[in-house]
Amino acid sequence: MDPDAVAKAFVEHYYATFDSNRPGLANLYQDGSMLTFEGQKIQGAQSIVAKLTSLPFQQCQHNITTVDCQPSGAGGMLVFVSGTLQLSGEQHALKFSQMFHLMPTQQGSFYVLNDIFRLNYA
Amino acid sequence: MEEQIDLVGKAFTDHYYHLFDNDRPALSSLYRPSSMLTFEGQKILGVEDITAKLTSLPFDQCQHVISTTDSQPSTFAGGIVVFVSGSLQLPGEEHHLRFSQMFHLVPIVEGNFFVQNDIFRLNYG
Repeated sequence: MDPDAVAKAFVEHYYATFDSNRPGLANLYQDGSMLTFEGQKIQGAQSIVAKLTSLPFQQCQHNITTVDCQPSGAGGMLVFVSGTLQLSGEQHALKFSQMFHLMPTQQGSFYVLNDIFRLNYA
Repeated sequence: MEEQIDLVGKAFTDHYYHLFDNDRPALSSLYRPSSMLTFEGQKILGVEDITAKLTSLPFDQCQHVISTTDSQPSTFAGGIVVFVSGSLQLPGEEHHLRFSQMFHLVPIVEGNFFVQNDIFRLNYG
């Protein structure tokens, strides 16, 4: 299976879930997962989903500009994303970059082991 | 342990960009035959081709100014993922270029790492 296609499919699924069913992100993290969100470090699926569902906006839309991926070894995949984040009511979209380190699950899909998110300020 | 990861990540990136800005051919010491670089979407494999790419970029001098460095353990047997954002100043250019870059560092011996994965993107707009 083409790694680029897998990465793209994962990214689309991740942001579609984020934008329409944020609690559903719990399926994409496990206990060992780590998120660094604008410098704040969070560990474990529960705490990560609590953080993401408590962000100070109800609705948002991610628009993805670039997706780059590379195998990390031991079946893992590194994915590097850049794009914009449109919050409802805000005139200007926020630019962001995000990296995921995906690891395979026993069911043949992926979960997020490492997740680092940064806004790109002008 | 967490703080240690941050220190290692920052020390590595400081060293990396110092080499890039002062002795670009010496970057070859940080890559291996298995290393991968994706530079603005172009995929390059192995230390030789990666060094050739970086030393042939269309500018003689540059200066990286780092804004943020985030590190996490990758559980690849002591590996570390590092996410950097900053700006790149080219001589003669009035405006800095903003960029983001991620490294996956893999240990060789105690305290020494090489770059297994490297992805670089300019941030436009």
